[in-house]
Amino acid sequence: MISLNHVSKTYETPAGKFAALKDIDLEIRPGEFVGVVGKSGSGKSTLLNMVAGIDRPSSGSVAVAGTEIHALSENKLAAWRGRNVGFVFQFFQLLPTLTAAENVMLPMDFSKTIPLRERRKRAVELLDLVAVRSHADKLPATLSGGEQQRVAIARALANEPPLVLADEPTGNLDSVTAKEILDLFRNMANRGITVVIATHEADIARVIDRKIEISDGKIHPQISQI
Amino acid sequence: MTTIWKKAIRDFWQERARTALVVLAIALGISAFAAVLSSYAILTRELDRGYLETNPASAVLRVDSIDNDLVKAILQNPEVSDAEPRRTIGGQIKAGPVQWRNLILFVVEDYGNIRVSKLVPESGAWPPANGEILIERDAFQVAKVNIGDAVTVKTANGVETPLVISGSVHDVGQAQARMENIVYGYTNLATLVQLGEEPRFDQLNILVAQNRFDEDHIRRVANDVEKLIESRGHNVRRVDIPRPGKHPHSDLTGILLLAMSSFGLFVLVLSGILVINLLTAMMASQVRQIGVMKAIGGTRWAVARIYFAQALFLGIAAVIVSIPLGILGSRALCQYMAMFLNFDINSFAVPIWVYLLVALIGVIAPLIAAAYPVWRGTATPVRVALADFGLSQANFGAGAFDRALTRIGGTFSLIAFAIRNSFRRRARLVLTLLTLAAGGLFFLSALNVRASMVNTLDRMFAARKSDLTISFARGYEFEKIQKAVSNTAGVKRAEGWFTGEGSLGERRFTVVALPGDTQLLDFDIIEGRKLTPQDTDAIVINNALAGREPKMRVGETVVLRIGTEEKAWRVVGIAREAFAPSPVGYVPLTGTVNSLRLALDNADPDSIGALKTELDRNLEAEGIRARGSSTKGESRFGFDQHMVMIYVFLIVMSAIVGGVGGLGLMTTMSLNVLERRREMGVMRALGATPRIVWLMIVAEGVVIGVLSWTIAALLAWPVSKAIGDSLVKVMFHSGLDFTFEPLGLVIWMLVSIGLSAVASFLPAWRASRVTVREALAYE
Repeated sequence: MISLNHVSKTYETPAGKFAALKDIDLEIRPGEFVGVVGKSGSGKSTLLNMVAGIDRPSSGSVAVAGTEIHALSENKLAAWRGRNVGFVFQFFQLLPTLTAAENVMLPMDFSKTIPLRERRKRAVELLDLVAVRSHADKLPATLSGGEQQRVAIARALANEPPLVLADEPTGNLDSVTAKEILDLFRNMANRGITVVIATHEADIARVIDRKIEISDGKIHPQISQI
Repeated sequence: MTTIWKKAIRDFWQERARTALVVLAIALGISAFAAVLSSYAILTRELDRGYLETNPASAVLRVDSIDNDLVKAILQNPEVSDAEPRRTIGGQIKAGPVQWRNLILFVVEDYGNIRVSKLVPESGAWPPANGEILIERDAFQVAKVNIGDAVTVKTANGVETPLVISGSVHDVGQAQARMENIVYGYTNLATLVQLGEEPRFDQLNILVAQNRFDEDHIRRVANDVEKLIESRGHNVRRVDIPRPGKHPHSDLTGILLLAMSSFGLFVLVLSGILVINLLTAMMASQVRQIGVMKAIGGTRWAVARIYFAQALFLGIAAVIVSIPLGILGSRALCQYMAMFLNFDINSFAVPIWVYLLVALIGVIAPLIAAAYPVWRGTATPVRVALADFGLSQANFGAGAFDRALTRIGGTFSLIAFAIRNSFRRRARLVLTLLTLAAGGLFFLSALNVRASMVNTLDRMFAARKSDLTISFARGYEFEKIQKAVSNTAGVKRAEGWFTGEGSLGERRFTVVALPGDTQLLDFDIIEGRKLTPQDTDAIVINNALAGREPKMRVGETVVLRIGTEEKAWRVVGIAREAFAPSPVGYVPLTGTVNSLRLALDNADPDSIGALKTELDRNLEAEGIRARGSSTKGESRFGFDQHMVMIYVFLIVMSAIVGGVGGLGLMTTMSLNVLERRREMGVMRALGATPRIVWLMIVAEGVVIGVLSWTIAALLAWPVSKAIGDSLVKVMFHSGLDFTFEPLGLVIWMLVSIGLSAVASFLPAWRASRVTVREALAYE
């Protein structure tokens, strides 16, 4: 599903060059639920960005579901992402002027993979799946953090992507809500969706299939297999 | 409706106050454009329609006398569809003790059957009975009379005849009487006899049968008619062919409206700047949202569409607001122009193409303005966009200019802080300054152009040393006139001049013969020299004649026909005459004179009136009949009236541009406040009172106002000169003696500060009302 070969990423900063990823090799299978664990600044978000095509490697190659995404243009990447990747952010990042259902419909409007008339119905179904159907017509500002993250997860599933990436999805939630959200991701993986979560939460081991530890831009040699 | 459109609409609704300001600014621009465009469509249609309805003469032939047989013979020509005789005679008119006014009296053969150059009866009697006179509707104010008033009229023969003003007519083809300071009167042959004149016609208005708008054809037909008249023993003095189908003021109206249209487009461009500011700020505040949209599958174009849709909404909203405003504006403008040009508007209907063009430009302009900020805003890579920390982190202090700013004002003060803050968003500052400075520039230009026109007229009238001109119907020996003058008290100097017509080939021009040592005309020589008493074959030409006749260069000898005599003349000089589009040549006086120029001891209207009465008497005692008179003050009044339209145009322009600038500043200040909301929270947390926050923002607005004033002040000289020169050149074919009006700088400084303070008042007040908690929580 996901294949990273000798991926390195170096940023030019005013203080000099900073290597965020160093010669990463990684394979993730379809339907696998992977947790990328590491401290802040370890490179886990950069790794996720590489997989989502949000960032490009300085060297090496990234292939997702058979597509060499590092070779795609920005516009093709966006279109590819819309159909193949669902992204969940730490701060939910719902668009404030759209209702919950409309936030979920937005990727469908971008990708046009689902007929116009069916988009609302599907959005409500997805909101139902994450247990916030009753909030479908509410604006994000009126929802709690947990509810917003559920909407964000529903949005990530809008176009039935084979891959869902989540960057610190529970980082801004209380422990009870965080547990519920992780269970949602587990359910996704159970349904065959590949899920990759970047987190520094220790108790993620409960739900994931495989843990990848990352520090100083390198994958830790002792990869834990659950 | 897809979520993309919903987001576009709701984002705008969220920013409704700012959006409303920008819509208002664009609407102002579109309204100005729509008003001018509609006026152009209405006026050109109505002016020419009204003129054509009068069946204007294709050609006017001035003949010694016209009788019915001659008219019948001319009508035998199948190329002539109609011919009508008239008489035009100069004279004077007065009502009661009011002093004499110049009169042009038109004598019509049969008021019941006017077929060419028709008159429209307005009120009172029609046709005028014997002993009655009709007055052109615009001339009542000049004559200072009303219908029913008894007046005294005299022609060149000097017979003062009491007549009654029995009605008012509208003569569409005449220039505005008020502007020309002339009374147009209409009477019949019998009344002409009462005035002591011969009952004859001397003007023939002809109408060609075909190709009525083909000037060459009309000229050919007129030549045939001229030959026929001459073959029957008559003398044709002159043939005039007015521009076919065009009102005499059609060109002037077109030029003015064209200038106004350019201005409308300019305002539209300025309001486009506001769209750039609004969308740049909106996109900057939504960088992270843009990143999210791109992360979940939005391509750059898909995201850009949201913001283009917003620009589209701005345009549509502005068009909806501006079309009724524009129509109202066009009505006012048309009514003003119609009054100015003395014609009636039958229909204010605006053609559909005007609506379509206004809508198209109104919708497209914001889209064009949005193109750069939207394309730039959506170019941010997803990773960078997602990492955006908000606008309050915008860098200040990295550049040398920023560091230089910190040295202004020494230690911290409100002004120093305001100056630094105003330079934080430089692109926005530049665009805001551009709109405000443009308002200032127009205002200063309006005052400077006005001052320059006054200066030019002052100079022109200072060169004319005669306070009073008396014209005669024929030539007299000056010695005879001088006798009458010497018996009149209050005359400082008197000169006799002769005004006639000359021609170089087919082209005619005015010839003024005057004493070589004239003291009553101070030539403004731009090349060569003026006339001297020793000159016999020298001619000084004005700039209009020099411009028209390239052969007439200083030092060249040209053969001119003056009167009936053809003679070689040496061009010795070119004199500049502002606002004098008609070509004139000045030659030394040799024979009789047909006008008397007088410099007086007292040139106030009362003294002139008294002197004229006495002089008339003395002239009559010598057997000399005055045909008309004009004072320097009356001529000046006519010129001033022509200038009023330009002043009004420039002042209205500066008010609209200033308004757009004010709205622009308001938008800028509200964006500045929005972006620095957290910073203001920090200041409040540190102890700044709401009043200090309020003052800080108003001070920032005032700093921008003062900066815009500085730019406007620096550019005012060259821009005013360029605007003044081009306007006067187009309208009067002459230059301008430029002068700078320093008072304008003071006035605009006060307006700038006031406008800036008012524009920043509301954003400042809102910022000062935000609580510390709200401000610190703002992202």
